[in-house]
Amino acid sequence: MSNVEVMIGNQAIALGLVEAGIDLASAYPGTPSSEILPAVIDFKRRMGRKIHIEWSVNERVAMEVALGAAMAGKKAACMMKQVGLNVAFPPFIKSRAVPIRSGLLIVSCDDPGPQSSQTEQDSRLIATLFGVPVFDASSPGDARSLASWALAYSVERQTPVVLRSTHRVSHAREAVSLDTPTPEKGSLDEGLKLSNGNGLGIVTSGMSYNVVMDVLDELGLEKVVSLFKVAQIFPLQAGLFAFVRSMEHVVVLEETDEVLEALIGDRSKVFGRSTGYVPRQGELTYDVIRGIVQVVAEKAGVGAKFFSPDRAIEEAVSTVSFAPRPPKLCAGCPHRASFYAMRQAFPKAVFPGDIGCYTLGISQGAVDTCVDMGGSVGLAAGFYEAFHQDGPFMPIVASIGDSTFFHAALPLLYDSVKKGKQYILVIMDNGTTAMTGMQPTPQSGRRAEGTSEYAIPIEEAAKGFGVEFLRVLDPYDIPGMIKAVKEAGADLKQRGRGPAVIVARHPCLLYAKTGKNMSVQPPDLTADCNGCKRCIDLYGCPAFLFDESEGRIKLDDALCVNCATCQFVCPQKKKGRRERG
Amino acid sequence: MKWEIVCTGIGGRGVLLASAVLIETAISAGYRAMASDELGMSQRGGSVVSLVKVGTFRSPFVGRENADVVLSFEESEFYRNLPFLKKGGLAVVNSRRSAMPSPVDALLLARKARCFLVNADEIAGRAGSIQASNMAMLGFFSAFAIGPYSIENIVGALERKVAPRLFAMNKAVCEAGRNEALQRV
Repeated sequence: MSNVEVMIGNQAIALGLVEAGIDLASAYPGTPSSEILPAVIDFKRRMGRKIHIEWSVNERVAMEVALGAAMAGKKAACMMKQVGLNVAFPPFIKSRAVPIRSGLLIVSCDDPGPQSSQTEQDSRLIATLFGVPVFDASSPGDARSLASWALAYSVERQTPVVLRSTHRVSHAREAVSLDTPTPEKGSLDEGLKLSNGNGLGIVTSGMSYNVVMDVLDELGLEKVVSLFKVAQIFPLQAGLFAFVRSMEHVVVLEETDEVLEALIGDRSKVFGRSTGYVPRQGELTYDVIRGIVQVVAEKAGVGAKFFSPDRAIEEAVSTVSFAPRPPKLCAGCPHRASFYAMRQAFPKAVFPGDIGCYTLGISQGAVDTCVDMGGSVGLAAGFYEAFHQDGPFMPIVASIGDSTFFHAALPLLYDSVKKGKQYILVIMDNGTTAMTGMQPTPQSGRRAEGTSEYAIPIEEAAKGFGVEFLRVLDPYDIPGMIKAVKEAGADLKQRGRGPAVIVARHPCLLYAKTGKNMSVQPPDLTADCNGCKRCIDLYGCPAFLFDESEGRIKLDDALCVNCATCQFVCPQKKKGRRERG
Repeated sequence: MKWEIVCTGIGGRGVLLASAVLIETAISAGYRAMASDELGMSQRGGSVVSLVKVGTFRSPFVGRENADVVLSFEESEFYRNLPFLKKGGLAVVNSRRSAMPSPVDALLLARKARCFLVNADEIAGRAGSIQASNMAMLGFFSAFAIGPYSIENIVGALERKVAPRLFAMNKAVCEAGRNEALQRV
């Protein structure tokens, strides 16, 4: 009992990696993978191991560092989210054909839904397509043993191996025993789990396996359905094909693409995505799996205790009005002010946006696109050429976060400078990689384990590339920020070349732990409010409460941090300043 | 025995600490327990749902109309997550209201669910700090002594989960929540 610890799946993966004796761990943060590397640091300290640990500037660097170490005879692991694997694609593909002297484990965490990504993507599919062995973890405990197993597999075959997790595994919490060391060659938790005749068989992997077990229990079907769990997705083991051959009907439940289903290949008896029984998008939640199992159990004639939802619940809830809660930047976030200034300076501009917290600028009408890391800069260059070809000057105001800038935008910015592309780039510098949990950026001068390193200021990088219009300012100064964006636009027109770069610098409030600023009096928005709601539409601070009965805005004292930036947003306050001025 | 508990609220209001205490309590009492959290993209102020399952379950998912208990640390999140609550389940909602809106009240009655509106913010403010309203909710819940969730077990787990300097205040708020429940139940 004493040596049991409640941990999330990502900590369990880290425990498995440290137990397996990795020499090097590298990663770029991305939900749902971000907690693995900090947990490697934790277990390294607790177990007194010698491991080099680093946050790399992006996933490609993380994988190349790990690959280099593996080629030189070290056991290496690199961690990323599913779309990070795309960034690491060049070394990933080539790693199949280079001599690995020890082991290389690539942990790629998928985001079914997606909940916190621009797209769903199945890392099992990518690994399988290119012939890289891949294992699918089904729970935190399972992920811990699979991490060791997969690394041993890599060492034995001298080939890179992928361990796939999903956010439901990475972020599930359960008790994991600290004192059972994972055997290097234990048994893979795979194969037949329920054997109940050949009417209906379920083939499943990952978290879906555990959900299926609970659903069968609820529906009273655990005595009539046969179940086969797959842990090693590629290369598939022969037992699965024998299982499928022996069944009259087979359901395949896997996240997020058809991988097992495609490898099984037999559409005549498979209920899956190819035959329309399993949705092609979204997470396989308990309700989704319960629905599928009920339908196929009836089709296969094995019966089911039917669950039918009580729609009276929705009817009753629909009579109550409660506010929707779209994702928003925090109250007092300095870059709500940056977005506001961008939109105020050029209301009709094209606003290429990027990944991370600043995707949320969409609610202020200052983000039009969200493609990939660094995509705002690349798209801005493309938008410029498109408008330029047809004539009139079109303001293009792109935004990107500081970590994202270093991750992906350096070559894009250099390329634009070289070609003189006319757009404004606002780099929203909050001093950290906020959305994923405050990891350092190249500008922080701080390494993963807290030691200091050389810090690279963003403006120095931009200057080095030859950016001519360059401003660094605090976006809390909204009038100054609007002026700077306007001047950047005027400069592009006047000189006929760009890009113009503005570094909007103010630390993330959560990172800086500044709390409420007691030396500032929050503006009294309520007193002269005429109910126009422009502050809500254009600024949308979570601390704004609109009192419908009084028709006036109020500040939620529990959320407001006294940044006072909203005084610049209220038309009544602006009018007041003009009259006084 | 098995229990499915849904904790709902908004970011920054201690939903995850409460669910961590619920898991810790169950595990210390010798149960298997697991949880799964949904946080969305907001750092603060967004919807947070933490699903807690205690007993011989395999997955940390709670299905529609399967939750034995729904603890809502913020009122609007209760309505959003009401489909989780099973027939005959228990709901505790942090709210300043004295009664549920009548259509919801009628629904809960028809589904034989017990629902308690608790001004946890006010209880917490009186006994320590409004920030500890999650503890007032846990204390209130402890009065029902469901499974491992006695006040002693919850306070024991709390001692292991919160910083020592904050323990006494959290415990006081938790007990104030329990006293509120004992007066009403």
